[in-house]
Amino acid sequence: MNQQSTLSLKERLKKDDQAFLETGCLFGLEHLEQKEQDPGTYEALWHILSNLCNTGWATGCKVSSSPIASEGGDALWALHLPTGEAVCVSRGITAHPGLLADMIKGFINLGYEEHPGFHQGDIFENNDPHYGGIHGPDFDMAMPIFYGDELVAWASAVSHVSDCGAVVPGSIGFMNPDCFSDGLCVSMEKVGEDDRFYPWYEMRVRSRTRTPDWVMGDARGRVAGCITIRERLMEVIDKYGLDVFRSVTREFVEDSRRYAVGRVRTQTVPGRIRKSQFKDLAMKGKRVLLNKQNIDCLFNLPMELEVRADASVHISLRGASGTVPFGQNISPTALKSGLLNGYSHIVGFDMFNSGPTAAWEIEKPPNGSWANPFERDFTASSGVAWAPAVMWMSSLYEVFGRLYQTRGFVEEMAAGAGTTMTAEFSGISQNGVYVAGSTLEQASNGSPARGFADGENSAWCIYTPNADFGNAEITELFYPVLYLGRNIEPDSSGYGRFRGGLGHTAVWMVHGTSGIDYQCGCAGMRSKIVANHGMYGAYPAWPDRPSYAHDTDVQQRIDKQLPLVHERGDPEAPDISAIEARDLQEAAIAPFVTPEPLQNHDLIVHPISGAQSMGDPIDRDPEAVCEDLERGWTRPHIAEEIHGVITQENAEGALEVDQQASQEKRAQIRDARTSRAIPFQDWWRDERKRVLERENMDPAVLEMWRSSMTLTPDYGDELRAFWRLPDDFEF
Amino acid sequence: MAEFLKADIEKLMDGVLPWPSVQDMLKSPKDLDRFDKYVEIQQSRVAWDEKILLPLTPALFIVASDGERIVKCRCGHEFGDYRINWKLFSLIHVRDDAKSIAEIYRGREAPDAGWTQVREYICPGCGSQLEVEAVPRGCPPDFEFLPDLDTFYREWLGRPLPDEGEFVDKTLDVITTWDE
Repeated sequence: MNQQSTLSLKERLKKDDQAFLETGCLFGLEHLEQKEQDPGTYEALWHILSNLCNTGWATGCKVSSSPIASEGGDALWALHLPTGEAVCVSRGITAHPGLLADMIKGFINLGYEEHPGFHQGDIFENNDPHYGGIHGPDFDMAMPIFYGDELVAWASAVSHVSDCGAVVPGSIGFMNPDCFSDGLCVSMEKVGEDDRFYPWYEMRVRSRTRTPDWVMGDARGRVAGCITIRERLMEVIDKYGLDVFRSVTREFVEDSRRYAVGRVRTQTVPGRIRKSQFKDLAMKGKRVLLNKQNIDCLFNLPMELEVRADASVHISLRGASGTVPFGQNISPTALKSGLLNGYSHIVGFDMFNSGPTAAWEIEKPPNGSWANPFERDFTASSGVAWAPAVMWMSSLYEVFGRLYQTRGFVEEMAAGAGTTMTAEFSGISQNGVYVAGSTLEQASNGSPARGFADGENSAWCIYTPNADFGNAEITELFYPVLYLGRNIEPDSSGYGRFRGGLGHTAVWMVHGTSGIDYQCGCAGMRSKIVANHGMYGAYPAWPDRPSYAHDTDVQQRIDKQLPLVHERGDPEAPDISAIEARDLQEAAIAPFVTPEPLQNHDLIVHPISGAQSMGDPIDRDPEAVCEDLERGWTRPHIAEEIHGVITQENAEGALEVDQQASQEKRAQIRDARTSRAIPFQDWWRDERKRVLERENMDPAVLEMWRSSMTLTPDYGDELRAFWRLPDDFEF
Repeated sequence: MAEFLKADIEKLMDGVLPWPSVQDMLKSPKDLDRFDKYVEIQQSRVAWDEKILLPLTPALFIVASDGERIVKCRCGHEFGDYRINWKLFSLIHVRDDAKSIAEIYRGREAPDAGWTQVREYICPGCGSQLEVEAVPRGCPPDFEFLPDLDTFYREWLGRPLPDEGEFVDKTLDVITTWDE
C-alpha cells in the first residue's frame, strides 16, 4: 500500500492481521517491491531513519534532567508505522520498542482515533503495567506525526525516571507489596497537546514524585526527542515522497521478520531445547513493609524453545512459579517486549524493529505465575518487573548459543548473561536537597563468553546495547558518595574454557550528607544461588553479595593516614573486615534497604557481576590462565584447582606456565572426577529418596515447586514421572 | 554468500583466529557450507569412524552407529539413543553441602546448599566435565537439546537420512525401567 488509506487505523490493524494469516507475510507483503526495484534508496532510507531516531535520542537525553537519562542514556526513541509497529529505533534500552508498539496499537484499539482523536502535537503516555507498561518508572510516550492531513507515523520515547512516587524511594521497586504501592500511574492517557504537557500532568508529577524536577525534565526530554524525529521526518518525506516512505517503512518491518526467520533456518537446527533457570528473593528477617513480605522466595524461570520445521520459534514458560508479594511480577505484554530485546541481540539484529515478533510465538505463561499475574491477582506489583524476566531472558543467549554450535557458527555462540543488582540512594544530598535515584553501575556487566573467546570486561548490559556505567565524577556530583574504588573483579564470571567478561566492584564512602539510605536493589540478581548456566561444563558465576559498614572508624583512619578500603579482597577475609563499625556486613544477602540511614564515612562495596563462561575449565588455554594471573583477573587457587594450571616465576620475575606440571595436574583432576562421580542411575535412586523426604530443601524451594506444579499440572506430572513419585505427591 | 577456509574455521574453534578475520565472519552473510565443513573438521579430530550426524556440544556428537543414532563423546564413549537424555548414562558428582561447594566457591562466593545443588556431569571415558547444572533439589536434569534430525536433514538440508525415526523424548521410558 503506497496510497493514503481510506480505512480507519483500527480497520487497518484488522486487515493487516488477516493479510498475515493468509500470506504469512506482514501486511501481506509477499514481495518487497521498493527493496527489489531501488535497493540503494531502500538502504539509504534505513540508515537515514535510524539516524533520525538516534538524533532524537541525543537531543532527548540532553534535554532530560536525571542522571539516568542524561548521563547513562537509559532511554529510547523510535519511529513507528501509523498502526504502531516499530520501524526503527535509537540506541538505548531496546527492551521497549515492543511495548511502545503495543501501546500505540492499544490507543487505536481503545478507539482514541475517534475520541479524543489524533492530532499533530498530541502527547500520549502509559506507565501502567495493567495496560501493557513494564513498571512505574518507565514512562512510555507516543506522539502522532502528520504529513498534511494524514497520520503517517508515530514518534515514541521511553525514559526510566529516578522516582515515580512508589512506596519506597527510587526506581527499582522490588519492595512494593502490591500495585497500590507502585506509585504515580499514567493509564493510557492523553497528557498533552500542541507539543506541551497539560498543566495537570505536571501538577500530578509535582505532588506525587519525590524528584519532580528530574521527572518533568525527563518528560520534556521525551517530547524534545519526539519533536526532533517529527521535524527531521518532514524533511525526509519532502525529499523522497510520501508514497516511497509509506512503502519502505512497511517493507523494513517485513524484511526484519524475514531476516529473523531466515537466520533460524540457515543457522540453527529444528528440535526442542530446554533450560531450567531460577532466581532467589530472600527477604525473611529484613526490613520489609508488610508482614506478608517477611518471607524468602525462589522463582522458577523455565524456558522451553521449539524450533519448528517452518523455522518458526515457539517459546514456553511451562512450570513458571507463582506471583510474589513484591514488585517482581511482569505482564505477558512486557515480557514479550523484553524477549524482543534478547532476540534482537541474538537472532534478528540486522534491522531492529517489530518484525521479529511475528517470527516467534510465546505461549501464554501460566495464569497466576510471575509472568502472567493479573488474571488471578489483579493487585500484584510490577515495581521492578524486569527482575525475573531479565534472568529468564539470559537463558535465550545460552539456548541460541547451543543451537548455533550445532550448525558450526561458532562466532555467534554466547553463554548466559550476568545479573542486574542496582544501587540507589535516597536522602539528603551534599547540596542539602533531597535526592533519590539510581547509579548506573549495573549497566556495565561483563559480556558472555563466546564460542571462540572470553567475554569483554565491564562492557555489556543485557537490557541495553548501550552499556554505560557513567562517569564516577558525575555520579559524585549527583549523590553524596565518593568513589574509593572501581575495579575489575577477579574471577567474577565463573570458570570455563572461555570465561565471561569480568564484572567490577564499586567502593563508595558516604560523604556530605545528614543521612542516606542505600538500596541494594534486585533488578534481576541472585544472592542465595548461582545461575543454571554451566554451559558445556563451566562453573556459573558466583552469587551477588554486597558489603557495607555503618557507623565506622573511617574518619579516624583518614586522620591517622591508615589504609582505607578500595576493593573486595579475599572472599574469606574481605578488605572491609579491617574497618571498625557498629554494623558491618561483609557479605550481605541482597536485595535490601539498609536498616538505618548511612552516615558520613560509612562504606559500601557494591559488586557488579561478570557474565557466564562456557566449556570445561581444564580445557582453558594455560597461557590465558597465566595472563589472567598476571593481570590480577584470576587468583592462584582458581588457576591451580579449577583450571589445573601450574605457573612459576621465570628469571625476569614474570609468571610462566609449567607445562609438564599443568599436564599432570589436569590428569589428576580428570582422575579425581571419574573416581568421585557415580553412575547417574545410582545417584537417581538415592536422590529420589531425598526428594521424597524433602531433605535439605529450604521452604522457599518447596513453595516454588508447589506453585509450579499447581499452575502447570503437566509440568508437575513430568517432574513426578522423572522421580517416580506417587501421583498425588506434592512438595 | 561468503565462503571461509576450513583452516580458518578450525582456528576459530580453537580460539586463535585473528580478530579482524573473526569480524569478517561475524559481519558477512553466512556461508552455506559451514555445517558440512564443521562436521568434517570434527570428524577429522576424533579417533573413531562413525559418521557424525550432528555436533550436540563441542564434546558430544550424535553419530550413526550400526543403524542407530547414538550420542558419542569425542573420546569414544557411547551414551546411547540420542532421544534419551545422555545424562542418564553419565557419571555425576553433586555438590549439595557447604564443604563440597567450598571446593569451587569459597566464603562469600558460595551459594546456599539448602537452595541449590551443583551437579557435574562427567564422561566415564575421559573425565571431561560435559555439563554443570546449578538447580534446586527436585529439578530433573535439563535435556538441553533434542534435535528433530529427520526434519533437519530432509527439509532443511534436502538430503534425508536413511531409516527415519520418530521425533520423541524417550527419557522417561528408561526411568520407568529402573529399580527404586
